[in-house]
Amino acid sequence: MSKESRMRASVNQKLTEMGERERLKELLRAKLTECGWKDQMKAHCKEVIKEKGLDHVTVEDLVVDITPKGRALVPDSVKKELLQRIRAFLAQHAT
Amino acid sequence: MKMEEVSMSSLDNGKLEGLAQDILSDLVEDACLGLCFEVHRAVKQGYFFLDDTDQESMRDFEIVDQPGLDVFGQVYNQWKNKECVCPNCSRSIAASRFAPHLEKCLGMGRNSSRIANRRIVTGNNTNNKSESDQEDNDDVNDNDWSYGAEKKAKKRKSDKNPNSPRRSKSFKHKSTCLFP
Repeated sequence: MSKESRMRASVNQKLTEMGERERLKELLRAKLTECGWKDQMKAHCKEVIKEKGLDHVTVEDLVVDITPKGRALVPDSVKKELLQRIRAFLAQHAT
Repeated sequence: MKMEEVSMSSLDNGKLEGLAQDILSDLVEDACLGLCFEVHRAVKQGYFFLDDTDQESMRDFEIVDQPGLDVFGQVYNQWKNKECVCPNCSRSIAASRFAPHLEKCLGMGRNSSRIANRRIVTGNNTNNKSESDQEDNDDVNDNDWSYGAEKKAKKRKSDKNPNSPRRSKSFKHKSTCLFP
C-alpha cells in the first residue's frame, strides 16, 4: 500500500512541477465555459443568492450547493478528453 | 512467474485508472470552487447582477431563432433581388453590381481613371480602330493584378511605329556621330 501511495505522491509532484496541472486546469476551465457549464452553474448560483439574500450569502452556501451539481453536470466529452490527457501523462511519468 | 506479471500489470492499470479518475476529480472540484469564489466576489462587490434588467426588456431583446431571420429578427437576404436605378445613366442595375457600375458610370474610382489614362495613351499612338478594341478589354483588366498585362500592352503598341519621327532622327544622329 505504501508503495502505491508513494507512487501517487511522486506523480502528483511531477504533475505540479512540470506545469501540467496548471495546463490541465486551464484546459478544463476553457472546455467548461465552451460547453455552457459555467453559465448553467451561474444560474444555479442566482437561485442560491435569491434564497439566502444578496447581503448574507456566504462562500460556504455556494460551495455546498454548487459543488455536487457541478460535478454531476460536467459533460462526458469533457471528462473523456481530460482523462485522455491525464492517462497519457501517467503512461509517461508514472513508472 | 509470467502469470503473476500479467496480473501485476493489470493491477497497476487499474490503479493508474483510479489515479487518473482521482486527478480528474480534483481538477473538477478546483473548477467548482473557483467558480464559487468568482461568484461570491461578484456578489459582494455588487457586479453580479449587472447584466440583468427588467423582465420586459429581457423579452424584447431575446435571441431570435426563426428560419430566414438573423438573431436580431431582421431579414438578411432582402437585397438579393432588388434593383436600383442609376442616377447617371438611368439604367436598372442589380443591387450587388450597383457599386462597381457607379464607379465606371460616374468616372470615379481607381479603375475608371486607369482605363481613361490608357485610352488617352493608346488614342495618341494608334488610329481609331484600336479604340473600339479598348472598350472590350475594360472588363478583362478590371482587377489590380493586371498591371503587368497593361505594361506589356503599352510596350507592344509603342513598338508598332517604326516610322515615327523620333526613330528616324536617332538613326540619322547615330550615323553622323560615328563618322565625324
